[in-house]
Amino acid sequence: MKKNIKTNDVIFQTATKVIVFIIILYSLHLFFSGHYTPGGGFIGGLMTAGALVLLLLAFDIKTVVNTLQLDYIKLTATGLLIAVLTGIGSFFFKVPFLTHTFSYVELPFLGETALATAVLFDLGVYLVVIGVTMTIIQTIGETE
Amino acid sequence: MAFQLLLNVFLAFTWMFLSNDYSPLAFFKGYFFGLVVIFFLRRFFHRRFYVYNVIAVIRLLMIFLIELIKSNLSVFKVILSPKLKMTPGIFALETELEKDWEITILSNLITLTPGTLVLEVSDDNKTLYIHAMDIDDVEQAKLDIKNTFEKAIKEVSR
Repeated sequence: MKKNIKTNDVIFQTATKVIVFIIILYSLHLFFSGHYTPGGGFIGGLMTAGALVLLLLAFDIKTVVNTLQLDYIKLTATGLLIAVLTGIGSFFFKVPFLTHTFSYVELPFLGETALATAVLFDLGVYLVVIGVTMTIIQTIGETE
Repeated sequence: MAFQLLLNVFLAFTWMFLSNDYSPLAFFKGYFFGLVVIFFLRRFFHRRFYVYNVIAVIRLLMIFLIELIKSNLSVFKVILSPKLKMTPGIFALETELEKDWEITILSNLITLTPGTLVLEVSDDNKTLYIHAMDIDDVEQAKLDIKNTFEKAIKEVSR
């Protein structure tokens, strides 16, 4: 690929600066709405990865890597570790592996909130999906 | 504008803390009184009173909606006419806007009104290259864009 044609991406970059925040916020909303409404860790992670891909398209790959400073392989490992630990945590209560529970907890400011241990497992899924997607895209993008 | 807006929100929260009432109604009361205070002290700020900017944003939206309906009707006419009597072409528009977001909004407004389409922004952000579906009078089209969109955007960022 020749790179002698330099276009002015001012419209694309300015629009990206606004839209990325909205996409990430929406992905977080999807992540937290997984228990009672459609959504969850997988689709939330994919949407976050989508926002990062939009950044990669609008700016250089070097700029994004230097700005975010995320090691995606370690992110994947962290996600897997969290998912396994939520499974192991069920052994402390003499119940089978990966048993999940939820209860209503009285929190300050928020009132009565349903807290489920499945959210922690979902967090692991979320991190693994982001890590794997971004690893695939970056390794494909960096090979010339 | 942003500083005055933030100050107004801060004043609204102060009102809520003083009146010991944390309902949305109290917030709006505090916001209104903060607006009055900022209006009387408007000459201490570097920028003008920010309600003018809010009005300018609303006016820009109204201009955009009217232009959208008008130009959609004109494209509709072209599509339904049995003979194509249009002369497409590309012209350059010198813009006086400088900031990135101003140029982005201007380009999006030009693109979203059918019949015209922004192809490219020059490297120094001074010229927009626009493709028009029907150029019968280039100077007239340039003047139209300048008088409606550019003026309204300038009014917002003043």
